[in-house]
Amino acid sequence: MSHLKMWDIMARSEEGPYCEDDEFLYDLFLPKMAEVVSKYDIKFDPAKPVPDDDDLADRIWQAAVEFFLAVGVHNVDTHRRIVITEAELNEALFLAPEVHQVGAGHETRWWMPRKVEDKRGPFCIFSPDITYDEDILLQASMAYVQEPLADGVCGPILEESIGRNITSGTPSEMAGVMEHAMLLRNAVKLVGRPGLFLVAVGTAQSDTGQVAVSNNEWGVRSTDGRLIGVLTEMKTDNELLNKVAHCKQFGCAIGCLTGAIYGGYAGGAEGTAVLEVAHHLVGLTVYQHNFNNSFPFHMQHTSNSGREMLWLVSLVQQALSRNSRILSTSNGFFNAGPGTEMIFREASAHAIASVVSGGDLWTAAPRHNKYRNYATPLEARLACETGHAVARQGMTRAVACGIVDTLLKKYEGQIAEAPEGKPFQECYEVMRVRPQGWYLDMYKAAKEELSQLGVEFPY
Amino acid sequence: MTTVEQLVQAVQDGKAPQAAELAGRAVEEGADAGAVVDSLGAAMRAVGDRFGTGEIFLPELMLAARAMQKAMEVLQPALLASASVAAKLGVIVVGTVKGDVHEIGKDIAITMLRASGFEVYDLGRDVNALDFVRRAEELGADIIGASALMTTTMPAQKELVDTLVAKGLRDKYHVILGGAPVTAEWVAEAGADSWGEDAAKSAKLLEQAMADKRAGAGR
Repeated sequence: MSHLKMWDIMARSEEGPYCEDDEFLYDLFLPKMAEVVSKYDIKFDPAKPVPDDDDLADRIWQAAVEFFLAVGVHNVDTHRRIVITEAELNEALFLAPEVHQVGAGHETRWWMPRKVEDKRGPFCIFSPDITYDEDILLQASMAYVQEPLADGVCGPILEESIGRNITSGTPSEMAGVMEHAMLLRNAVKLVGRPGLFLVAVGTAQSDTGQVAVSNNEWGVRSTDGRLIGVLTEMKTDNELLNKVAHCKQFGCAIGCLTGAIYGGYAGGAEGTAVLEVAHHLVGLTVYQHNFNNSFPFHMQHTSNSGREMLWLVSLVQQALSRNSRILSTSNGFFNAGPGTEMIFREASAHAIASVVSGGDLWTAAPRHNKYRNYATPLEARLACETGHAVARQGMTRAVACGIVDTLLKKYEGQIAEAPEGKPFQECYEVMRVRPQGWYLDMYKAAKEELSQLGVEFPY
Repeated sequence: MTTVEQLVQAVQDGKAPQAAELAGRAVEEGADAGAVVDSLGAAMRAVGDRFGTGEIFLPELMLAARAMQKAMEVLQPALLASASVAAKLGVIVVGTVKGDVHEIGKDIAITMLRASGFEVYDLGRDVNALDFVRRAEELGADIIGASALMTTTMPAQKELVDTLVAKGLRDKYHVILGGAPVTAEWVAEAGADSWGEDAAKSAKLLEQAMADKRAGAGR
């Protein structure tokens, strides 16, 4: 815990250098990003989707630090830049905890930062990242919660409450977020994991919605976590800072949610990698987070399983692991839908690239993270089993690179027109909360394919 | 290389000060302002196409758009003085709906639409449905574009359409919806006219919509 406190951030948010949107983008962000990418000689190599160049990872870190210190974070409500000094950043990095405690009771987890090629398995958060129909939300949540490798769950999101659309900032959101929190709490009890670390609730977009569900009896507990986003790119607003102030007081874990956009303001893979690392520094200092959810994604495909994306996902995790104790869950966004061979290949490639690079896992969002009911825990199960396997066998980045390259060659030609797959209700026996036999067979075949490629599953 | 060719190059390279200077020089040399604008429009469409295919990224697109804007500021007086004022494709008001603070998708769409020749008014983020309608009325808009990045803010897109219906204005505007979670099915459910699947497709789709509107009006 650094000397930088929430009230320092509030003060800088109101008294920092005045800066309008265009000035921030054109005079600060764009030129500084171009400068650091060039200065630190960061270049994408498509032949190495999982690079093993330590110096490159460290240069990305250095570029991100320089960029972050120069640009700061723009509060779009106050038009002020929140600027952090080098000494403050170094203090926050020095004081970052060796371990974070999350969850409760038998489900308590001691979450520690991983190193590159670490033999300790990843911390795994199972999450579909999409909305589900209200009438199957409990069963869908139970399906995720029951996964044995889940150290935490970010449950399915509600789009309707008592049959009515949930609209952010309205009473329907208040009703919906409370219903969502109650259903999740029921799900963990029914599965017999009442203390499981929940990152919740995704239905609450507004600050008031997040405050409404903080309740240690029926809602989101102080042993759970919340996500607070950084706006695109390097921006925040008062509503997000309200959430930070509330979570700090309530005592739950803060997860900083960051998704640098490939093809966006940061440009290609190089700038996007630098930006995503810089986003983690925003989390560490401005949001004073406990962990980061990292989901850099491709602007056109809204996924991060392509070759350029895995390159930058891997390097972001390596840069962080080699230079900090920041916890980062690498969040998989995929092109194919559930019930397809492609989704298993995407999920496992992303898991391998992330885990050998020192990252933890937050997985899996199929079908561009877009379509209701199109996600199941089975894709996440394979990703997390693969992540644990490659860590346990001590897989090097060089070996991982070969496996990921082989997987990529099997699916990268289909990224633009990926198969849609099937919704949860067709992939699972909903009421019995278990995968359909055909889908289990497909999962087993995917696991066998990975075994043939060199992944040594313990079971 | 002629001055106009240099100007086109400066715009494509995103060099705003040079673009402004070269636009001024082109006017001094007696270039036809309308023809210069046509050349710049074609250049920006090419830049937009390269962005659409992933050949270039957003910084290049935005810097080119900014250079184009600077050149247009210089060309505007000459353009107004000449008889060759190019017809605008249409007037669009664009914003991110109430409760939603995400702007990048909207900003890309605005850049592409301006590059295509639309007159675009950016209403910003967290825009109330009624404010969309009021601004569209004030500005004489043809099209209303509403972006949402969250499933819980998508209902505000439907609220916009419902507000137009309630005010008896639904047929006056083409309503296009965009944003990551938005699908063609949602556009139909919300009662909007078209789906802004991505910025490049939106620009082409709206050009066609305006052409259809003009044809329908007998123009």
